[in-house]
Amino acid sequence: MKLESRHWTFFGLAVVVVIAMLSGFQPEITVSPDTLRMHEYIESLPEGSKLIISFDHEASSLPEIRPLAVALLRHAFSKNLRLIGIALLSEGTGVGYGLMQQVAAEYSKEYGVDYVYLGFKPQYIAAILSMGQSIPATFPEDYVGQPVDQLPLMTGVETYDDLAGVISVADGSLTTHWIEYGGGQYGVRVSAFGTAAMVTTYDPYLNSDQMYAMVGGLRGAAEYEKLIEIGGSGARGMLAQTCSHLYVILLIVIGNVLYFVSRRKGRSS
Amino acid sequence: MDISTLVAGILTLAIFTFLYRDNPIYKMAESLLIGVSIGYFLVITWTNSLMDLLFNPLFRDGRLALVIPLVLGLMMFGRFHKRTSALSRIPIAVLIGSGAGVAIPAMLGARTLAQMSATVSPLVTEGGGLNISSIVILLGVLCTLSYFYFSREHRGVLGQSAKAGTWFLMVFFGTTFGYTVMSRMSTFIGRVEFLLSDFLRLAN
Amino acid sequence: MRRKVPQFVCALFGILLFALYFSSHPLARALSQLVLVEYWQIIFAFTLLVGVVSFLKVNLKSIERGEDRPYRIVSLMGLLSMPIVAFFWGIKGGTPFMWIFENIQVPMQSTVFALLAFFVVSASFRGFRARSVSASVLLVSALLTLLARSDVGGLLSEHLPVVADWVRNNPSMSARRAILIGIGLGSVTTSLRVIVGIERTWLGGKQQ
Repeated sequence: MKLESRHWTFFGLAVVVVIAMLSGFQPEITVSPDTLRMHEYIESLPEGSKLIISFDHEASSLPEIRPLAVALLRHAFSKNLRLIGIALLSEGTGVGYGLMQQVAAEYSKEYGVDYVYLGFKPQYIAAILSMGQSIPATFPEDYVGQPVDQLPLMTGVETYDDLAGVISVADGSLTTHWIEYGGGQYGVRVSAFGTAAMVTTYDPYLNSDQMYAMVGGLRGAAEYEKLIEIGGSGARGMLAQTCSHLYVILLIVIGNVLYFVSRRKGRSS
Repeated sequence: MDISTLVAGILTLAIFTFLYRDNPIYKMAESLLIGVSIGYFLVITWTNSLMDLLFNPLFRDGRLALVIPLVLGLMMFGRFHKRTSALSRIPIAVLIGSGAGVAIPAMLGARTLAQMSATVSPLVTEGGGLNISSIVILLGVLCTLSYFYFSREHRGVLGQSAKAGTWFLMVFFGTTFGYTVMSRMSTFIGRVEFLLSDFLRLAN
Repeated sequence: MRRKVPQFVCALFGILLFALYFSSHPLARALSQLVLVEYWQIIFAFTLLVGVVSFLKVNLKSIERGEDRPYRIVSLMGLLSMPIVAFFWGIKGGTPFMWIFENIQVPMQSTVFALLAFFVVSASFRGFRARSVSASVLLVSALLTLLARSDVGGLLSEHLPVVADWVRNNPSMSARRAILIGIGLGSVTTSLRVIVGIERTWLGGKQQ
């Protein structure tokens, strides 16, 4: 078994994260303004408001997306909001279905009355635009093939005008399509729970008020869990997140010190 | 330990073996993943799209107008034979044309004009002082745009502006890198949490 | 004919959907709905099926040639298992279909993604060097973000998270905004070129 330098850097990361997770320590978290804005938005919605939760992500990002989605669903169900789940990426379909069922059961919510899951539609731009004309025509049946006109929650839901807004749970840039086509053409209020990697992509839209609010990454999930006072994976992972950041910073510093030392040696020789 | 956790745990470890180097265990797990993913994708597309948008309305409700998109869809399969491959260009033309048609107003309005409009904000505060943030944003947008302006050589004022543009871009890339590290670590932490809590039962 | 008919269809649908954007007449809405759902979405679903058939063909050919046979067989078994279990037991929660998705696909796929954490670490160590002023700016903003978005940032200085947020919301955001404006203009130009038939690469084959 031959080990190279990269294996040692890999090993270091694994050790740092495993020890941090085993310690069970959860650091005190400061809530960022972004997360606070999202929390205030959900709080401000009247009971019974209908929201679309769009699971616009792949299965690959689930470790980061699940804590975010669970925190959102817990808050929304606890506020007695009516949720319409959809997915514009195929893998988000199964994930969204499972998560909505799981969290709905925690709050004894009834399918068809408190929440529905309409499933997947391909070509997200067409789906977003088409929902602006007619949601029942875009989703004639729910995820398991039940006609939507038989679901009490869908009574009176024709277009985005009948909804409080759309929250895209996304790991990529699909939320930008919600903003540009859903928000731009039909004026629906778009917010997002997204992976940390996408935060800077959405910043211009937040600044221009084209996107209302955003919660990003595992840290965002931990902050949201703190606000709704229900612990979850976000808070449990925060020490490991901090330690892994410090580990990356340490490697960057060591790498640069070695670089400057070798450059100085090169000059002097 | 239940069978679900056992299977998920073993497969998770199989994927992690790639960190040492590419190996048959990883390749086997990867092949299974590819197959299952495509199978899943096929089922979801069939049940959640083709059934309720096409087959049920066409064959159950008798909406004969749907024969046209059905035929167009089937023309896509013409790609598999040389003699019929040109047929697939028609449905592709529908997709490309529709995409281009809806993109023009959306990109112009929501992306270009809305972003330009948000850039223009008061540079002086109500108290008469300079609004540093607005000035930085305006300078950042102009300098970065000038960096991407390739119709003239980057010399003189344009050169200086483009140079400043690269610094703004570097700040953006650096911030994005920081958030990307955060994201990747979160994913790894999620898998470690599964392994330690559910699979190995070492943590609560 | 092989190129002119698709070009005409492309222009027709492009102009139609562009024009429909400006009308809220019920007829225009109905037409728009027809194109979006019955043409765009259904045809797109078929393109996904074409991908599946293509995957099947490539794998069967490889098995026939004896290339990576065990792996290809496992892939095909995985692919076939999903429609089979979905056909017999459906796709609701608690079915074998969802079991495979939750316990085979999701763990493996998220672990493949988790591997990136290790490569990010390795890249940070090997490649993140302050070789020039630009590279130093990149490095400093990355370190600032990493520190501020961990709990250590606030402990070092209460101003650090505030500074990091300001950097993200102002200089960083402005660069991203400029990129967005550029992409927006580029998308509009390309879309126009496609509709009027100047851009024909999507037709494939040799340009005529």
